[in-house]
Amino acid sequence: MFREPLVKTGPDGEVLVKRFSRVRRFEHYLCIAAFVVLVLTGFPQKFHDNSFATWVFDLLGGLDRTRFVHRAAGVVFSLHAFLHILGFTVGFVTGRMSLDMLPIPQDLRDAWHNLGWYLGTRDRPPELPKYDYRQKFEYIGIVFGGLVMVVSGLVLMYPSLVAGLLPGEVIPASRVAHSNEALLALSVLVVWHVYGSHLSPEIFPMDKTIFTGYIPAHELEERHHREYRRIFPRGHAQEPPPAANADAEPLPAKVA
Amino acid sequence: MKPAQRLLTGFAAGLVILLPAHAVLAQSDADTTQDKAAEAAAPGGDIRSEGCLECHAEDPDAKVTFGDGSSRAVLVDRKTIALSVHGGALACTDCHRDIARHPHAPVKARDARAYTLDESRTCRRCHYAYYTRVLDGIHFKVLESGNRNAPTCVDCHGAHDVQDPKGPRVEVSQRCARCHDKVYAAYAGSVHGRAMLEEANTDVPVCTDCHGAHAIANPKEPTFRTTTHQMCAKCHGDATKMAKYNLNPEVVSSYLQDFHGVSNSLYSEGATKVYKPMATCTDCHGIHDIEKFSSGDKGAIREKVLTVCRGCHEEVPATFGDAWLSHYQPTLASAPMVWSVKWAYRILIPFIMAGLVLHILLHLWRLRAHR
Repeated sequence: MFREPLVKTGPDGEVLVKRFSRVRRFEHYLCIAAFVVLVLTGFPQKFHDNSFATWVFDLLGGLDRTRFVHRAAGVVFSLHAFLHILGFTVGFVTGRMSLDMLPIPQDLRDAWHNLGWYLGTRDRPPELPKYDYRQKFEYIGIVFGGLVMVVSGLVLMYPSLVAGLLPGEVIPASRVAHSNEALLALSVLVVWHVYGSHLSPEIFPMDKTIFTGYIPAHELEERHHREYRRIFPRGHAQEPPPAANADAEPLPAKVA
Repeated sequence: MKPAQRLLTGFAAGLVILLPAHAVLAQSDADTTQDKAAEAAAPGGDIRSEGCLECHAEDPDAKVTFGDGSSRAVLVDRKTIALSVHGGALACTDCHRDIARHPHAPVKARDARAYTLDESRTCRRCHYAYYTRVLDGIHFKVLESGNRNAPTCVDCHGAHDVQDPKGPRVEVSQRCARCHDKVYAAYAGSVHGRAMLEEANTDVPVCTDCHGAHAIANPKEPTFRTTTHQMCAKCHGDATKMAKYNLNPEVVSSYLQDFHGVSNSLYSEGATKVYKPMATCTDCHGIHDIEKFSSGDKGAIREKVLTVCRGCHEEVPATFGDAWLSHYQPTLASAPMVWSVKWAYRILIPFIMAGLVLHILLHLWRLRAHR
């Protein structure tokens, strides 16, 4: 297995910086697939009076089959959530991974600074880290929201088992939580993720980083300046980064 | 002709046509009243039937012998016919259509039941819509399968004494009781049956309100289970009717919010085959022996609910029954956990979404300001 270089040159001579490993990219594909299937088979159950619901049930061959597909996708999502958290826990404990996707107090200061910039009380935007507070919000949203969905979903899948361990009221409470958390997750995705990764004028039509694994150096400079300075203390046009991997391609000489 | 003239002529013509018609109508009204009086005095009514009745109402020894050798008296009572809903309206040969003149050919039926089943077809000549609905019903299917005891038109409505079916409601169930005596006994002792028999309450259902009269569904069909709640909803989903008896008007809507209710309502809309039967009203409340739940003590009710749960969810612990919130919207007192989760999201979802949208709008505003 070969390691991907930290910095490489794109086909059009652009300097690219590694951002997401193959595992993370695969996880994103898996989340897309699970999310789409779960929404398509779950929302017709929530909004069952809607004619769209009947259309989906007809398409999938009935209510029971729709529920089976929903549960199967839920199990895949749950396994993934479990492995993701386990992987990060082990990685962090053994010191091989940093938890730079989790929020820290600095993120609150960044958010406050950024709002000040938006409102005009600050004259420059904050210098954001590798993952900014908007991205971290979405990440903890999917982790915690995902956990709510996994736990409540398992309660609804095995109600009789759960009743042996917890009060019976947990079952209807899980139903309310599962249904509402799903609505929240879809709303955040449609509004926040679609804006942040697609519709924002700075991003449009889309941010391809999660698919290619690499972010163009100039984008890193604009949007994640703190991380940019860490990798290129004197700018990416001036020098190869100190952290550059051995098999990284030589940086192109740029005419100033 | 000028328009005014035309109008006047039309009006005159109308008067000429309508006045005599009115007179005739008034006359015929008077005639019917007289007829009714005459029938009561001298039963028999229709003059067209007189020829038949000369033998069939007078000769006590008149008998018909069937193919199997059995025989039966063919005596009819003039009064019975006159007082039936067809009295004065139909003549004998309107129904007994194979007979046209006297003396008529002997009846060829195998036995009395065969004759009844055969003659029942005559009803469809006028009551065609009901006849076709009967073809969809369980009684016809049983009949078709070879059980000749299954009822046909005259078994429920009567033959020569056929009455207006809009008669007293209590009689409807009593008619069904002639065959379904055990079910009737259960119904008669239920909260519905008692109100019907003891208080002559017209709001409670009789057999046909739930089962239908002609296209009676097979209660063992899966669709019967999946549509049961709609049956009960006819009354128990009616807030005004429920208020009259101080009953919870939310029983149907709360059931339809529950997993079982959602499943059954989707199955009933045709979401394919039912693989697993889902709990419906009758599983907890009883089928014919329905009783008030509020009259029992809480412990006994929970016990009963748990028994019903265990009918499908085998060997579940006693706490499982608490998953059912008893047809009431969760409150802080009745179901604190469900209530809290519900309200947490009611606050959280708008709060988060409003914040995110605001952040996006501020971002766009900043970009615009810096262009």
